[in-house]
Amino acid sequence: MTDISADILALVTTLKMAAVTAVILLLIGTPLAWYLAKWQSRFKVFFEAIVALPLVLPPTVLGFYLLLAFSPTSLPGELWQSATGSQLAFSFSAIVIGSVLYSLPFVVQPLQKAFEQLGDHHLEAAAMLGAGPIDRFFSIVFPLTKASFITATVLGFAHTVGEFGVVLMIGGNIPGETRVLSIALFDHVEAFNYANAHILSAGLLIASLLLLSLVYLLGNNLNSNLNKKQRVTKL
Amino acid sequence: MGKLMPTFLSKVSLACAIGCMLFASTTFAITEKAQAKPLRIAVAANFAPALKILLDDMPNKEQFNLQIISAATGTLYLQIKHGAPFDLFLSADATRPELLEQAHLTLENSRKTYALGQIALWSATQPVSHLNALTHYAGKLAIANPETAPYGTAAQQALTYLSLWPKIKSNLITGININQTFQQVRSQAVPLGIVANSQLVMNKLSGVIIPTHYYQPITQQLVIIKSSRQVALAKKISDYILQTNSQAKLQSLGYLAVTSSNPLDEAKR
Repeated sequence: MTDISADILALVTTLKMAAVTAVILLLIGTPLAWYLAKWQSRFKVFFEAIVALPLVLPPTVLGFYLLLAFSPTSLPGELWQSATGSQLAFSFSAIVIGSVLYSLPFVVQPLQKAFEQLGDHHLEAAAMLGAGPIDRFFSIVFPLTKASFITATVLGFAHTVGEFGVVLMIGGNIPGETRVLSIALFDHVEAFNYANAHILSAGLLIASLLLLSLVYLLGNNLNSNLNKKQRVTKL
Repeated sequence: MGKLMPTFLSKVSLACAIGCMLFASTTFAITEKAQAKPLRIAVAANFAPALKILLDDMPNKEQFNLQIISAATGTLYLQIKHGAPFDLFLSADATRPELLEQAHLTLENSRKTYALGQIALWSATQPVSHLNALTHYAGKLAIANPETAPYGTAAQQALTYLSLWPKIKSNLITGININQTFQQVRSQAVPLGIVANSQLVMNKLSGVIIPTHYYQPITQQLVIIKSSRQVALAKKISDYILQTNSQAKLQSLGYLAVTSSNPLDEAKR
């Protein structure tokens, strides 16, 4: 009984963490992807590599460095504590920051690809007609790259749900604060609660499958729709 | 249809996402309000099931809001060193509590031995009735990592005592902790292994208990963390774990009880 309510609490924490992370990632990932797509410099590859780093780095490495950084005795941890009055390490904010870093490539890369493929002529035409940068973004860039935005958001969200190593290191497994589904699942396996582990594993598996199917369905529909529109404009 | 689908679906998914967020934040706020400040017990993964059994039998347990946080002893140690908000730490060894004590992160005189681990030889594929099964065994043997896991160190010492270590050394599968070793043997991935007797007892299995004089005692110690704001309650839980009834219960779960006549606590100081 208590185990089920504990798992529901872990589910709520996970959804909250993934939702907040996805929103933050869209806010910082979009401008970052735009600059990476438009920037012409030989240093660009270096920044692309930094964004892609979480793809290849073991999460425990990132988690270990973040743990050192968030510690109350280190500079970032101290600054946070004096600014907010609460400790950063082992808090909900800590796992959100960790997730933002860890899921960054999943949001930036699809957006960057979409912005690169977006030709300049629409934007130049709009600029000549007097549209400002924000207007150009929302009336041209966003509609044309909507599929990539949906892909990026869902991938960022889903990858955060599946995160384990970083949260394990910097979260501290605190119920209602930093205990997320993947860690609750690990606890069940460690404690040989295979029944609970099966429920959580199957739930995560099915939810992830549905979420990814939705991404591809939306992507396909938007793309075919877009192609149709483009054909019409050509005619 | 092709034109309607995407806008409809994206609206639905947007609504779902917003719904999720609202649900998450409201439920979170409610659950946060309803509970008093919890006492957080950080426990080594291999002792978590036993601790839950002990705390379930605790009188007036409903009065307290106890949170059990389990992870590998090494992870918990690292987290406590970096300010994890735990009140009580039940380690799988004596080394990590000692290190925390030396770093002045623990409450004075709170370090106590709460259980002694026992190791056993076990196989999930065939019945093992005697340690002789090891003498001519040429297959893979699962033990916990002797460098990092106390149960692995004990296994190495027992194998050395039996003069089997040089021969068997190259056939070892070492788990990161005793839980992984148990899983490797239980899943039959490794035919034979040295696991914790408590794991066998709690899962109603039986193996050959290795005599305790073959290895140094697996001393599991607890400490109260200095930064705890609930020292009185932490002490109460610590006393409860150490009292005779609880120790008898631990004995029935496959640990060796820490009796008052046991000199280990004093000798360690």
